[in-house]
Amino acid sequence: MKPFALPKPPKWLREVGWRTVAGGLLLGGIIHIVATLAVPLAGQGNAFAKLAQALPVNRMVILAPPSPGKEPLPFLTPDALYAICRYDISVDSLQVTAQLAHLGWTLSLHTPQGDNFYVMPAQPARRSDVVLTLIPGGDRVEFAPSQRRIGAPDTNIPSPSTEGLILVRAPLKGLAWRAEAEAILRRASCVPIKR
Amino acid sequence: MSLFSNIFINLAVFAAIALGGGLGSAWYMIEAGSRLSTRSFGPWTTWTAAGRPEADPYTRAHTVRNGLLPLASTLELTYRAKSDSRGGKINSACDYAIVMEGFDSAWWNLAAFDARGRLIHNPADRYAFSSDTVMRESDGRAIISLARDARPGNWLPIGGGSRVTLVLTIQDPALAAAVYDGASPKPLPPIERVACR
Repeated sequence: MKPFALPKPPKWLREVGWRTVAGGLLLGGIIHIVATLAVPLAGQGNAFAKLAQALPVNRMVILAPPSPGKEPLPFLTPDALYAICRYDISVDSLQVTAQLAHLGWTLSLHTPQGDNFYVMPAQPARRSDVVLTLIPGGDRVEFAPSQRRIGAPDTNIPSPSTEGLILVRAPLKGLAWRAEAEAILRRASCVPIKR
Repeated sequence: MSLFSNIFINLAVFAAIALGGGLGSAWYMIEAGSRLSTRSFGPWTTWTAAGRPEADPYTRAHTVRNGLLPLASTLELTYRAKSDSRGGKINSACDYAIVMEGFDSAWWNLAAFDARGRLIHNPADRYAFSSDTVMRESDGRAIISLARDARPGNWLPIGGGSRVTLVLTIQDPALAAAVYDGASPKPLPPIERVACR
């Protein structure tokens, strides 16, 4: 019986030095880190870039309901209406008002990179009127986990970026509720106010 | 082997490891995720820090690259499934059943998309069910049937002959916190394959 022997590697592979492999792994690690960190900065296909061109600045707009071929964003909850405001607070602050009528409704604030730095959900069994002022917020120290807010009562919300998106999501309970949801969303607003 | 060919081989292997390994591993971690950034419960996978400003770089890159606008995972989590509970890819040639139970206090939504996150055209114009729109059994369970052709009850059409991605959104801060902290939350519904054509 022949003893078991590993197949001999091809000759070219035997020419590869360990320094080549180690150097490749080291550079590969650097490329991995740089590529991962660079993707959020590229900004080409992000949600803000997709929506921003079609949206006026500092005005709440109700989007057409998602339908095949007309999805504002991929994987967006389809049976809902959306009011959206592209904000720019480089000059003035912004007063945001919205009513959250039913469970599932949310008001959320996002940076251009998609970070959701504030979210207010509807409360069970009662309507919530939300009024808040979006102000410039300084640097990222604002976003330590202990300082994050879910529906906190303070009305001045510092934004980490001068631009971003305000989104009101209104899930539909059925077609019969659509007119009511649209009427409530039409009352939502984002209005510049002097600082 | 000549010195020239030796240098050429080493350069080629160096570039293959650096570029292929570096970019390939980054792509995998950003698109598919890993235990560093995702948690899986049966066929469902969620990015545990999605939407959070303090999210890890892979989660932030995943959000930006896919054009997503998630709510912070402190409030609600979005789970995606591309496979059924037996591991087979979800596709429109098969019928599936999902039983939602145990989420009575939370708002939830179950939607069907194609693999790229687009809605699947269907004559019923139905793309999702939520805790508000689903019809329930007498015991409170909601049975959702995913099929190409109409079914009685909660029929979610998945026609089109392609791969299907299911998205389950659950707005429950306690559940979201449990998932983020690594605890074992209440089980998510299995995706049962009923029949295939």
